[in-house]
Amino acid sequence: MIQDPWTDRLSEYVDGDLPEWERHALESHLESCADCSLIVSDLRRVVRRARTLRNSPPATDLWPGIAARIGAATPGAHDVMDLSVQRRVRRRWAFSLPQLAAAGIALMTVSGGTVWFLSGSARETVVLAPVPSRPAGDAPAVSVSVRPNAAQSYAAAVADLERVLAEGQGKLDTTTVKIIEKNLAAIDRAIAEAQRALDADSGNLYLNTHLAETMRRKLDLLRQAAALVPVS
Amino acid sequence: MTELGLGVATLEHEPTGRTDPDAVDATLAASGDASAFERLYRTHVPKVYGLVRRMLSDDDVDEVAQDIFVRAWQKLGTFRGEAAFGTWLHRLAVNVILARRETLGTRRKRYVEGDMALETVPSRRATPEMSMDFEAAMDRLPEGAREVFVLHDVEGYRHEEIAQMLGLATGTSKSQLHRARMALRQHLER
Repeated sequence: MIQDPWTDRLSEYVDGDLPEWERHALESHLESCADCSLIVSDLRRVVRRARTLRNSPPATDLWPGIAARIGAATPGAHDVMDLSVQRRVRRRWAFSLPQLAAAGIALMTVSGGTVWFLSGSARETVVLAPVPSRPAGDAPAVSVSVRPNAAQSYAAAVADLERVLAEGQGKLDTTTVKIIEKNLAAIDRAIAEAQRALDADSGNLYLNTHLAETMRRKLDLLRQAAALVPVS
Repeated sequence: MTELGLGVATLEHEPTGRTDPDAVDATLAASGDASAFERLYRTHVPKVYGLVRRMLSDDDVDEVAQDIFVRAWQKLGTFRGEAAFGTWLHRLAVNVILARRETLGTRRKRYVEGDMALETVPSRRATPEMSMDFEAAMDRLPEGAREVFVLHDVEGYRHEEIAQMLGLATGTSKSQLHRARMALRQHLER
């Protein structure tokens, strides 16, 4: 049996991928070839069928396994008692190599300053407590009872990231810069609020944890923003 | 910017005039918010799972789907909002799936062996008794043809994109697609 030479081109015809002259030639052929016309009709139905396939979630919820792998062992738990778990979730560094290059200087400092702050080994011992206020414009004041140097390391990490960002600010579009600045301002306000609240209730575990969370968010935001700066 | 009570602030997103919950959640998740990431998971898992299930024929579908979301969590820092989060996640999912296949060492042979394997898909027009579910028929396609069919007809990628992803010539992608469609037309509901 000799196959119609047009048969292998019918999908391209259905997809509109044929050059105009071929399309015209094929359309002339279709007027007289019932087989090819039927195939074209079928192919169009296959395409329509493929586009209307339904997606269903897996029979077994995958989230618990994902949560365990990303460190969120009790996903969805928002109870204060579980904040340590949520803190653990935030403890990650996820850089691509280009980002590492872009934020290299900052990371060198971060690695010294915040790895402890974020590290698993530190989890059991992180107890944040307010310390006397620092001069205005200084990095957020925080002390970790078992590692006093953490506050300085954190401040140094923030300062370095802010410097990287300031130096690279001209390379970012203005909308991005505005968003970053607004978000940083909001986080700074949140940190200040938490610190004021802690002044009145220094032993409050929630406030201490919340302050640590907010500071960590600032570090994360700075890290992401610094990574956006193109390598010159 | 929204501030909710004591020191709780939500991160701002692109001022597009409308809220994109995915973009907000992606930003929050990138800063370590697992709850935001769970929302993204709930939103996108049906589509991602569908992609994995259709692209892979082995028993590792759940594991690969999980891998995709774990990878997404690790890579969130690279999501810059240039495309929709779903688009970004989908492309990442394709890459994870293809990497998985490379690991299994199935890539090279299947475009060659696919020609023979296509014969295993019934070529006669199915009677109602012998017709099978369309998705089941897709499962019986050889891997190469199925891969192209899923990416093009189900997921909407162009041949040029597929060729780049799979390391094929564009013409090969087109011919695999046509073969898949020709096999599947036998399984259309009449």
